[in-house]
Amino acid sequence: MSQQAKAISGVFYFLIPTSGDWKEKSRNFLIGLSIVLIGVLVIVASFIGLALRSNSGIGIWVVGYTILCAFIILIAGAYRRFKLHEGLITPTRGWFLITVVFIVLGMISALVGFFWIPEEAASLSSALVGGGTVLGVIVILLYDVFPQLQDRGSAGYVTMTGLMIVLAIVYMTVVSWWIVPYDPTRLDVGPYGAPPSAQFPLGTTSLGQDLLSRTIAGGGIMLQVALISVVVCFSIGVPLGLGASYRGGNVDKVISLVMDSIFAFPGLVLAIAIAAMLGPGVVNMALAIAVVYIPSYFRVVRSQVLTVKELPYVEAAIVMGARDRDILFRYVLPNVLPSAIVVMSINFADAILTAAGLTFVGLGLPVTVPDWGWDLTFGSHQYIAGKWWVITYPGVMIVILALGFTLAGEGLNEILTPRLKE
Amino acid sequence: MTDLLRIEDLAVEYKTRRGTARGVDNVSLNLEENKTLGLAGESGCGKSTLGRSIMRLVPYPGKIVNGKIDLLLHEDIVFPKGVIEKGFVNIMDLNEEELRALRGKEIAYIFQDPMTSLNPMITVETHFQEIMKAHDPDIKKEEALDRAQEILDGLGISPERITDYPHQFSGGMRQRVMIGLGLALRPKLLIADEPTTSLDVIVEAQILEEMAELKELFNLTMILITHNLGVLAQTADDIAIMYSGRIMELSPTEALFEDPLHPYTQALLESVPDVSKPDKKLSWIPGAPPDLVDPIPGCMYNPRCKHTMDICKTTQPGLIMNDEERLVACHLFGGEK
Repeated sequence: MSQQAKAISGVFYFLIPTSGDWKEKSRNFLIGLSIVLIGVLVIVASFIGLALRSNSGIGIWVVGYTILCAFIILIAGAYRRFKLHEGLITPTRGWFLITVVFIVLGMISALVGFFWIPEEAASLSSALVGGGTVLGVIVILLYDVFPQLQDRGSAGYVTMTGLMIVLAIVYMTVVSWWIVPYDPTRLDVGPYGAPPSAQFPLGTTSLGQDLLSRTIAGGGIMLQVALISVVVCFSIGVPLGLGASYRGGNVDKVISLVMDSIFAFPGLVLAIAIAAMLGPGVVNMALAIAVVYIPSYFRVVRSQVLTVKELPYVEAAIVMGARDRDILFRYVLPNVLPSAIVVMSINFADAILTAAGLTFVGLGLPVTVPDWGWDLTFGSHQYIAGKWWVITYPGVMIVILALGFTLAGEGLNEILTPRLKE
Repeated sequence: MTDLLRIEDLAVEYKTRRGTARGVDNVSLNLEENKTLGLAGESGCGKSTLGRSIMRLVPYPGKIVNGKIDLLLHEDIVFPKGVIEKGFVNIMDLNEEELRALRGKEIAYIFQDPMTSLNPMITVETHFQEIMKAHDPDIKKEEALDRAQEILDGLGISPERITDYPHQFSGGMRQRVMIGLGLALRPKLLIADEPTTSLDVIVEAQILEEMAELKELFNLTMILITHNLGVLAQTADDIAIMYSGRIMELSPTEALFEDPLHPYTQALLESVPDVSKPDKKLSWIPGAPPDLVDPIPGCMYNPRCKHTMDICKTTQPGLIMNDEERLVACHLFGGEK
């Protein structure tokens, strides 16, 4: 297949049989195509269905506008490919072009949102800018990055699947306010604890909240808490582990002792104590979780560094006169990072569950804020009374989100480790 | 010929829980420019420790307790934080920064195991760039790449493969890459610590030949550490035989193989298998090397020696030069001085 055809077909390239027996390949092609088409249809149909019944009344326009943004970005991407193929621009300038398109679209979206509905509890501008950006990123990932990733075999597919799951949930969360059928923050929109029905497709909670609305809107808290806590953990735990074990001696002993003493507490109990000290709020919740998970990064990184720094290639680097900085960041860190990334993917899932636990004991957020963790822990009591729907849907969403993070983490890990390349 | 390296009374001690072991005991060596010195001896005799001491890289818990290592510099070495002036430099007096400037630039070291001596996470190209950048921060990427490709080409690796990762190379090629990395900055002294031990004999021969060519090309002075006397017979100009941290004999290669002086050298050469005499049984040296933590008085070799005399059990023999200008540490030759 020619380069140009490859450029045009983009993500669908891998589905089209390029070699071998057509009949054998065409079965896979048809299965793949039908999965993609059915998936797209289900997603589009559910979004349109939601958007039509939306509480805000303009859900269909919000979704349509963001899809339009994604389409413009897709065209920009195809234009870049074409120009690149013709040899008219350099790759760097191609990416510059895409960035400019993103920024311009973002500014237009902000203005559109501002003039369309200027005052509302949730800003329309941020929903439009965020939704457009996320869809644009999805399009760019599928169209431009995926053909490169698929050379890496299964790791590429795994990464892409994970990223797609996470980004889809991010998109849903960003536009959630405008597409939900009922106000997710309000109580008493329906009967108490009603099973799924035509009016309330996922049922209601025992406080009379619409579960569908809460499931759509509830990802925000999870995403923020997970992201902030993981970033904080990673950026403290990894450098500490690296520095302490590379330097060794008393520094290592002191830091290890502190970390071990944190490790000695049960995670949730410590998180509760810290959250109680800091008070409620998303950032405080994230910090409380971060403190609990720093030692696991530290431990893993430290033990890895202790092994790696004795390996011959580190010694070979010293012999050749490499600077400490280079040895640390080019020789030691890349070799310990895969283990840290594995811890990270576990940390994401754990952070979500710990956040749910914190919300449950009342140290998270008030009941009116839509949050999967709250619904899950609150619904666990009603499950005994036979109300399975209250915990099922938020639970499934948490599982899907954690799965997305894990897949993305695992896949990236494999892609970034050259030894696992073949 | 001038000396490139002068080692005087070098002693390295390993502090262990059982006591202090002298890994290298009062070794003195002079190494002339453009010569190859072979260091041979059985396992644990201190040959690697001696090689590493020259780089000041004795592994923990070892420590250089005494001695002087003078290295001749032909040019000033300029590095960001100072200058090392040309002439003889005592490596023992240098601080970490100065050592770093010296390592790789003047002395290169090649390790035994090529399989793990390259960073699996970065490409060969990056390896070369890192090294060149460490010693010359202003070097341009293209220039470093050109030089690296030239070196690889000279070692029989096609230059396109420079973007490959270490795991994509075979053992012999990795050792070639290691040699290339060692020589990237045109050092004067190359210390090769059993560079071919983990390779098969064909690759071993190729690599030794290439090293000999490179030695001519770059005017290298080499210290070749090995327990394979056959390798030394091919490549070395002089051979030092070590035992229990001391040099037992230092002779030109031919003289050593034809007429070994020290009883230990004789026994070593005896024990080399000979293909032309298939009926001959392999011989060995009875006994084991002495415990370095608890050294015996007198000559360290006396319990295993055929010619043990009374003086051997009380007095340690020093290195003596005989009339053929060969050095030997044995009381048998004491009278011929």
